[in-house]
Amino acid sequence: MEEIVLETRNITKIFPETIANKNISFKLKKGEIHALLGENGAGKTTLMNILYGIYMPTNGEIFINGQKVTIKSPLDAIRLGIGMIHQHFMLVETLTVLENIILGLKEYGFVINKRAVKEKLKEIERLYSLKVEPNVKVWQTTVGEQQKIEIIKVLFRGANILILDEPTAVLTPQETQGLFKILKKMKDDGKSIIFITHKLEEVMQIADTITVLRKGEVIKTLPKDKTTKSELAQLMVGETQTCDFLRKRKETDETILSIKGLTVYSDKGTKSLKGVDLDVKRGEILGIAGISGNGQKELVQTIAGLKKVAEGKIIFNGVDITNKHPRFISRLGINYIPADRLAMGVAPNLSSIDNAIMRRYYRFPLSKRGIMNYTKALAYTRMMAKAYKIKLDNPFAPIKLLSGGNMQKLILAREILENPKLLIASYPTRGLDIASTQFFRQKLIEIANKGKTIILVSEDLDEILSLSDRIAVMYEGRIVGIMDAEKADKNTIGLMMAGAKA
Amino acid sequence: MLYFEKRQSVPQYFKVIIPIISLLIGLIIGAIAVAIVGINPLDVYGGILSNAFGSWYAFSETLVAATPLILITAGLIVVFRMNVWNIGAYGQYIMGAIFSSYFALFASHGLSKPAMLVVMVISSMIGGAIWALIPTFLKIFWEVNEVITTLLLNYIALYILKFLMYGPWKNPESYGFPLSKTFPQTAILPVLFKGTRLTVGIIFALITVLIVWFLIKKSKFGYEVRVIGDNPLAAKYAGISVNRNIIIGMAISGALAGLAGMTEVSGIVHYLQVKIGADYGYTAIIVAWISYLDPLVTILASILFGGLASGGYSLQITMRVSYGIVGLIESITLFSLVGAQIFLNYKLRWKNGSS
Repeated sequence: MEEIVLETRNITKIFPETIANKNISFKLKKGEIHALLGENGAGKTTLMNILYGIYMPTNGEIFINGQKVTIKSPLDAIRLGIGMIHQHFMLVETLTVLENIILGLKEYGFVINKRAVKEKLKEIERLYSLKVEPNVKVWQTTVGEQQKIEIIKVLFRGANILILDEPTAVLTPQETQGLFKILKKMKDDGKSIIFITHKLEEVMQIADTITVLRKGEVIKTLPKDKTTKSELAQLMVGETQTCDFLRKRKETDETILSIKGLTVYSDKGTKSLKGVDLDVKRGEILGIAGISGNGQKELVQTIAGLKKVAEGKIIFNGVDITNKHPRFISRLGINYIPADRLAMGVAPNLSSIDNAIMRRYYRFPLSKRGIMNYTKALAYTRMMAKAYKIKLDNPFAPIKLLSGGNMQKLILAREILENPKLLIASYPTRGLDIASTQFFRQKLIEIANKGKTIILVSEDLDEILSLSDRIAVMYEGRIVGIMDAEKADKNTIGLMMAGAKA
Repeated sequence: MLYFEKRQSVPQYFKVIIPIISLLIGLIIGAIAVAIVGINPLDVYGGILSNAFGSWYAFSETLVAATPLILITAGLIVVFRMNVWNIGAYGQYIMGAIFSSYFALFASHGLSKPAMLVVMVISSMIGGAIWALIPTFLKIFWEVNEVITTLLLNYIALYILKFLMYGPWKNPESYGFPLSKTFPQTAILPVLFKGTRLTVGIIFALITVLIVWFLIKKSKFGYEVRVIGDNPLAAKYAGISVNRNIIIGMAISGALAGLAGMTEVSGIVHYLQVKIGADYGYTAIIVAWISYLDPLVTILASILFGGLASGGYSLQITMRVSYGIVGLIESITLFSLVGAQIFLNYKLRWKNGSS
């Protein structure tokens, strides 16, 4: 018997600048774990937010147990038996576990009937081996425990359909295995689970059915038994487009950047880089492939001086730049296009002028003895806009009003105009349309052909394969393999991205 | 259901219209309150207006009250623009007054008037800056929230002042009142116009505003402040030292609050006492806020508040209205002015449906 508990038909969600979901149809069966697989920006989270009532779809229908429903708010979703476990936990840290679990529930009284709650907790523990200590405060618990609290919260509200958004992103491998055991028990109990992830390994381990999303569309739905990791990897990243930039390889044997045993901690205190060794040759384009969250961001931010090195050394052009000030590093000739434009690349509410001069505002002629020359700054911005075809109607308007492509062009121009010896481009084409993407790739090839060195970080395997001379693959804070791009194929890289050794 | 919707862009004229409308609404509510007490609101408002702006002397008193407000606000703007919340102008003002009074009371012999005043100005700025830098370093090294520390240091400053006034610095001939000896003539700021209490302090204030305006709009420091205020991560990425700028900003902010304290004791009070108008330090926070953190607008807003304060103060003498009524009007107007700022970034919408 194949009972469909949840179905979407042609769900479309259009945001002012992008189409996040396009005609998404999928079916969730009773008692299955259904993985939604896709890269960042593939539209997974948007879809889930629609199911949970945070967004309303522009078009399309949702059916629960065969009934057509409209989900206007999370309250509606809960009433329909849908529970969501967010990537970032929604817990009140200063309350106890028990208080968090019943937060917002009326049936346990104004003075909480703790005995009734504890009885229900026992029941949940018996069914799913989900055990928590009810009387401790949430801030005293570990991340793994907090996730259990979130799951219990959802079960307490009678959810039959559980949505987990990247649940393993914050867990240790042991905690992940623990979570999987719980998920299997819930499945055996007849609950249906949507598991959002971009980790192939986990999909193969836990899912029954897999739906692959790419660029807001369903690419394919297939049972786990009939697929392989490398097939999934290819479905995720798409087919290779032919790319005819004329790359004249210019790399030398001389090492321009040498990284030895680099260890870096994340803000949470876990190791995000676990002893990275890497030599970059002068004149090459080195692609760094990997599924996001495996240390690529930390690696390039550390090179740019934005993260503290715990162990190891970074030598650039013979100069030790370990733990040096970001400006010292950029003046030595390392420039960096950050992964997240709005979070780091620009000051969004300031004008395009202010943003365009960020790298050189402190130098003559833009400033002299501590005084800015904004006339020169305006001229510089206009020159930049012209040379890089940035559509800049009003350079005094906040830069956040520019389109993503134009903003990214301005960042690229700002960094290239510093005439760097090494340019680090982190996800340079993420979220851009085809024309801007082509423009970017063209520019990168152009400056590499002039003998500059480039480190290119991307999740887009096609981009990495078509632009790079050499490709390094990162997995869990390490470089697991490095190969010549001409000898590389997508399959091998895909597997390495999923953790297989070279 | 009523709900707020974020505005995509804010028309420039809103920045003028919204405060005017909210000021009017505040005055109307205030009028109702006054009417309930049984006083004709028109008399009260007319009284405030004529006591604040009605004559040259009245206006000079308004400027006297505006002087410390302008000085403090100009400093607060610098740090507020970096999203650093200095709530401690009250204490920094007191420290400025104490530091400069020390020289006036105990080290005045042999100094000419200009030299004495220069010493007092500098010492007051150092005193205010020190008081502002303590919480700054706590913030930078141990991430202690500056809102709490600056606020708590206000009380410490007040108790230091009280200790001095009841103890070592007390004037033995004050019949038990907590105040110091009167400053020597060399330690008193010259009056600008005969027959008024308006001193060169107002000139300090106007020059300060110009300097701060220049710093914010034209200097490299101002550029860095802008970037830090909008996106500290982008600032770090651009190689801007966030901590260094916060230290400089807090030092400026504390120094100007300290200077305000000096202009008050040296220009108006002429001795040190417990009541030296440190409340300006709190009013200035609101003045900074309704000035949109713009130094030039600050002058206007400070004169408005100075007028309300001095006009209201004289009102209790001329009309025998309790100062409480004036305080009430002042609070309602402030509340309305600050509250209405939400309409700059949001608009009210009506949504059908229950969810």
